[in-house]
Amino acid sequence: MTDLLVIAAPALALLTAVLLALVPARLLDGADALLSTLTAAVAIALAVVALTGHGDPDGGWYVLDGATGVYLIVVAVVGLLSALASAGHLASVHARFFARGVPQRSYYVALQLFWAALIAVPLVDNLAIAWILIEATTAASALLVATSGKATALEAGWKYLVLTTLGLAVALLGIVVLYAAVPDGAATSLSRLDWSAIHAAAAGLDPDVALVAFVLIVAGLASKIGWAPVHNWLPDAHSEAPPPVSALLSAALLPTVMLVAWRAQAALAPALDGTGSALFLGFGLISLAVAVPFLWRPLPLKRLLAYSSLEHMGILALGIGFASPLATAGVVIHVAGHALAKSLGFYAAIPLLRADERLSTQPPSGLGGVDPAGATAVGVSLGSLSGLPPSPLFFSEVLILAGGVAAGELVVVAVAATALALGFLGLAHALITSVAGERPAPVDPPARAAHRRHRLAWLTTAVVGGLICLSVAVYALPGSQLIDDLMRGVT
Amino acid sequence: MSQPALWALVVLGLAEVVVRRRSVGVALVALQGLILGGLALDEVHGTGGLAVATAILVVRAVALPLLLGRAIGRTREPRRIASERLALGRFVAAVLAIVLAVALVPPLGLTDRAAEHAAVALVLLGIVIAALRRPVVFQVIGFLVAENGVYLATLAVDGGLPAVIEIGLLADLVLAVAVAGVFGARIHERFGTSDTSLLERLRD
Repeated sequence: MTDLLVIAAPALALLTAVLLALVPARLLDGADALLSTLTAAVAIALAVVALTGHGDPDGGWYVLDGATGVYLIVVAVVGLLSALASAGHLASVHARFFARGVPQRSYYVALQLFWAALIAVPLVDNLAIAWILIEATTAASALLVATSGKATALEAGWKYLVLTTLGLAVALLGIVVLYAAVPDGAATSLSRLDWSAIHAAAAGLDPDVALVAFVLIVAGLASKIGWAPVHNWLPDAHSEAPPPVSALLSAALLPTVMLVAWRAQAALAPALDGTGSALFLGFGLISLAVAVPFLWRPLPLKRLLAYSSLEHMGILALGIGFASPLATAGVVIHVAGHALAKSLGFYAAIPLLRADERLSTQPPSGLGGVDPAGATAVGVSLGSLSGLPPSPLFFSEVLILAGGVAAGELVVVAVAATALALGFLGLAHALITSVAGERPAPVDPPARAAHRRHRLAWLTTAVVGGLICLSVAVYALPGSQLIDDLMRGVT
Repeated sequence: MSQPALWALVVLGLAEVVVRRRSVGVALVALQGLILGGLALDEVHGTGGLAVATAILVVRAVALPLLLGRAIGRTREPRRIASERLALGRFVAAVLAIVLAVALVPPLGLTDRAAEHAAVALVLLGIVIAALRRPVVFQVIGFLVAENGVYLATLAVDGGLPAVIEIGLLADLVLAVAVAGVFGARIHERFGTSDTSLLERLRD
């Protein structure tokens, strides 16, 4: 039964892509909504199996530990919301990049293929197969980033494609070195790169070779995760992509690729001394240092959210680097909370940009008087992302820093805490300006009636509910069975 | 592994940094694919391995260069791309990169030290090509050279990589080049040239 669910989750998304390539154009939106709901339901069912510990954590070719469960829920929810929000976005924007045939069709097919690969990455038990899937996500998402066909979108998509493909080539070199180092005792040579096989062989590896392989893999994946200093494509791609795609990129793709780096660190831990953690801590601190100054600038909404993603990936890197149970609990809450808050911010951009085109190049200001539902959504999103209590991100950041103290990294914690405080102030300033700042000059011609705002209002309410649940879960999570089982499929 | 072949691969990579004509660039990367295919067929054992190695040879040396050639044919440049810096500067940067690679990278544990050096040199050269060259096709050639470097590393692994992974890697490569081709066509439509220095409007 579990085997069937594991195959079904990504297979349904693949099947959806095939079907959407064939259905008549007028049925595209409805078919996408229906089939995406089905895919998300299967993925969430699988996540429940993983989280309640019913699944065999190392079931051969797939892994169903706690981490898989958390990531499947995140990818399923954000993917479903993006698929549903795409109809509204495509109704108001012409997808000029896909000039041949029906543009919406190409967009939907690429979106479903992207989602299918994203669902599969946390499930696969093999480093090489995970790499292949991540490279596939690059191809699909690069097309999606350039959807609008504008010169800036082409630039963003092209930079994204070239930089991440080169980074992944470096990671692949690391995987080849690792494959050569792991002794050939396993049943098939493919399973040499299974997470548990790597962990079992790690203690016996030559430490220098293991270190080189690890550094190549993580440095290569870093360009895809968007850790500074190899993050140049991130602000451009996330701000130029259609908002549903940006939500998937920020909330689902970045953490999922980070999961692969995390598992690599957990698997190779016996072979590395402190260098594994030091690499993650380095990426984390540099990402924070690069992102925080931009949070103080008046940026357009999507670009601000993109720099916020850079900041949050930095925090997650620190959480992984500290590697203590408190920090791990913080990382879990942070991944889920960030996904909810970031995707709400991007979905709010859809009606806001439709009503006022200037918001794609100017910072939002005084939305409270012009568009209450949009202002609330942006307010909740920016407030949560800045780490304002009772946002779960506040608690997760506290947990991660506490984990850092427990791990003895006091200097890193001090620097990180300062950076987070500055980031909070910057985003809080952006929040106040967007909601209560100076009202912009009225749009000419006037915006159409805000009749679709009730959907955004419902979404905001649901996200607030989710965030509160996560904040409550903070009390239960540290020390729980879930944290103990988190990397069960690897170690 | 044959030393002249390894040297030839690195020299071809260096040539990609300086050649001016896009068609010559594509021919050189096809030649790299051919040499790699030859090295692979030399090392392979069993009919399964032979089939995979031949498929990879056909894709790297024939199919992908043909695809790139068609893309060049469809995106004629009105004039020489002036934004490219001096070829000599690029060449010096590339040579420095190779020297650094050979000096700094520790033993990787592969069967052939010379192949290790060549593989790392090719990956670095690929990054240099993609970073320093302006035409879209040359940036694609950059990541093809980097992937060729990784393939060379897999040839130096005892027993080779499993067929599943090799085929998966090949499929990913074709996919990436296909998507790059679509981008190249759109960029040329939009700007009339495939000079990526025009793609620098996004700033903070």
